[in-house]
Amino acid sequence: MAESPAQTTFADEALGHLDTLYRGALRLTRDPDQAQDLVQEAYLRALRYQHSYQPGTNMKAWLFAIMRNLFWDRFKGSRKEDVSLDDAGDFMLYEKLRDEGARPEADVLDKLAASEVVAAVEKLPPLHREVVLLVDVEGFSYKDAAQTLGVPIGTVMSRLHRARQQLQKSLYDYAIESGIVRGSNGQVAHQ
Amino acid sequence: MNCPDCKEKLDRFVDRELTNTELLEVQLHLEGCPDCMDNYEFQASLKRLVKRSCDCDTAPPAFREKLRQLLS
Repeated sequence: MAESPAQTTFADEALGHLDTLYRGALRLTRDPDQAQDLVQEAYLRALRYQHSYQPGTNMKAWLFAIMRNLFWDRFKGSRKEDVSLDDAGDFMLYEKLRDEGARPEADVLDKLAASEVVAAVEKLPPLHREVVLLVDVEGFSYKDAAQTLGVPIGTVMSRLHRARQQLQKSLYDYAIESGIVRGSNGQVAHQ
Repeated sequence: MNCPDCKEKLDRFVDRELTNTELLEVQLHLEGCPDCMDNYEFQASLKRLVKRSCDCDTAPPAFREKLRQLLS
């Protein structure tokens, strides 16, 4: 049966956000096959409930919300991961590196491999990971992120802050393991 | 504004979420405080690094085509 023009328009617009959804699903599931399953299910659900989408509003946020809700439905058991967010305390990578005598940006940040940054993001518990994905990777405002996740803006801010501290702690640990910095006395290993 | 106040607002400054008044206060402080300016530039670079590292993945073309057919 031929598709209706309205359906074509909706599908075209929705597919315009595919890369965002796929990246998000990939980072949440950490598995390409599961990511494709999740995104496909999200699109089919979006098509089914397209009447609930208000044209002119943020379709990317609407689709992402469908996808992450499906993720949480599927992976409810992993919610317990969230209590396992290490207490990174008030860890600030910039201050740590500066106090150790390194030039934080030139000596460390510029030497971190993209794969290590992705690994550090994927190490975050999902509730914190999804805020980083929305705000830092996809450029959502706090308001849009809050709406997508169904939480108050203050929760977005606090999760983001904790996530960034944990992320910085992971990157610092990696920088030490890989010899980019030397540790507590912190001379830079490679100038 | 002092350094702890600036540090407290740095996340929202990097994310462009401050009010106009707060934005001006932070900008004014950064202009006169090299350490906070360095910290800000570091945080902004880190945010760009996270984005650059994570947004290079795109949906495989065959998957995109499969979805296009499913949705039509």
